[in-house]
Amino acid sequence: MNVYLQELKMYRKSLITWTIALVVLVVLILSMFPAIAKDAQLLNKLLSAFPEGIQKALGLTTLDLSTVLGFYSFVFIYVLLVGSIQAMNLGTSILSAEVRERTADFLLVKPINRSRIITYKLLAALTNIAITNVVYILAAKLMMDIVKKAPYDTKAFFLVTFTLLFLQLYFIAFGIAVSVFFKKIRTVLPISLAAVFGFYIIYLLNQTLHDAKLSYVTPFAYFEPAYIVSNVQYDVTYVAVAVGFFTVFTIVSYGIYTKKDIPAI
Amino acid sequence: MNIVLRELRANMKALIIWCVMQVFLIYVGMLKYAGMAEAGNSVNDLLAGLPEIFKTMFGLSTFDLTHVGGYYGVFFLYFILLGSIHAVMLGAVIISKEERDKTADFLLTKPVSRVRIITSKLVAALINIVAFNLTTLIASIIIVDMYNQGQSITGDIIKLMIALFIIQLIFLSVGVGTAVMTRNTKKATSVSTAVLLITFILSMAIDMYSKIENLKYLTPFKYFEARQLMFGGQFEAVFIVLSALIVIVLVTVTYIFYKKRDMQV
Repeated sequence: MNVYLQELKMYRKSLITWTIALVVLVVLILSMFPAIAKDAQLLNKLLSAFPEGIQKALGLTTLDLSTVLGFYSFVFIYVLLVGSIQAMNLGTSILSAEVRERTADFLLVKPINRSRIITYKLLAALTNIAITNVVYILAAKLMMDIVKKAPYDTKAFFLVTFTLLFLQLYFIAFGIAVSVFFKKIRTVLPISLAAVFGFYIIYLLNQTLHDAKLSYVTPFAYFEPAYIVSNVQYDVTYVAVAVGFFTVFTIVSYGIYTKKDIPAI
Repeated sequence: MNIVLRELRANMKALIIWCVMQVFLIYVGMLKYAGMAEAGNSVNDLLAGLPEIFKTMFGLSTFDLTHVGGYYGVFFLYFILLGSIHAVMLGAVIISKEERDKTADFLLTKPVSRVRIITSKLVAALINIVAFNLTTLIASIIIVDMYNQGQSITGDIIKLMIALFIIQLIFLSVGVGTAVMTRNTKKATSVSTAVLLITFILSMAIDMYSKIENLKYLTPFKYFEARQLMFGGQFEAVFIVLSALIVIVLVTVTYIFYKKRDMQV
């Protein structure tokens, strides 16, 4: 329990910074909506002239940018991007910090076993993510209600927004799993940036390629907002894949960390 | 000279990983091109009829994906994203790591002036980003050539790589600039990441909402765009001057601040 509280205290500042960043981001983006909605209405008229088959082939039909929900889902990827960096960073640093800050031998001689340590640290990371999400959801919902012109599907909004939480869980687990493979991580951010942007670029690439196999590689493709908005549910296959990865990463982390040779001072 | 060699060796592994990833990205992308080229003709005719804002909104821009040049142009965004992450992290870490690794007193007691140290480190960083750039250039020319059935686009590729290099230079100087202005590596990487993310998201916002187009001077991601440079386009003088200015100012700041820096030993 002490480990948990100590971690919460250590990450308080970064939690506040990241949460503010996400809130500012969503407020700024959504405040652009009224201006863009006008342009989008024009486009809708143009678009409706095309046959449906072609619209579908281009993948353009599913998000209507003249509605606040369509616009929100369209720009949500940037929220995901920032949120993922936060989570990846947290995951990668939380276990490796002990070696980096030369506190590993202090912690590891305490009467508490290693799987206990991971559990508390994981819990602390999850608490951080949970707080971020609660604040973010409140801010996003409020902002949506301010800029909306017509009522929108609240359930779809929440389904889209919850993907931030899922993606962050994925990156927490991935970050921890990555960190246990290194003997010592001196600086965390280059690793988290490379990982998150690597996945993001695979996702961007796949938007052009539409390759089903490639879409399993990158978590950004698991919860496609366009799909969620039009079906008001998640794609079960991808949810299973995400849960699978999360479980594997977590098991690997426990397995390796409990047997890992930790360098002392 | 010793410092340059030492830095090159220290960054060798990371550089190799980055270069391999670049080659891999280009290879996978072009592999897919073969399939795209056959399918896309009818789609292109359709896209040609759409209004400009619509295309930018969906990231389709003005690329003809069935043409190898158009397809390659899409990659440019990924290159500048990865290139700038690489450059900004390299710059931030290369300056600040002496204090992080507690080697600052060792280095600074050697008979080399601080100006000399910065110059050597900048030279080493420069060699790194040149290697990154040349790898991308050579891999692109060879791999694109393998799949290209029409006219050679080597000239366009070289032009894009010059643009990539300028952006790398900007972000390298952002990295070193923040490193001398912040207290430690963690702060340096955090601040430079913030700069990177904010400018990147700003460039995306400008794409969506044309009324804030004047903000494009604030984000290097908007200085050079593939669709302006390719197919006979030219560099815009104002952005070259602006880039040079940013680099010169930040490098000067680096020298001035580092000379007066109170090292944390």
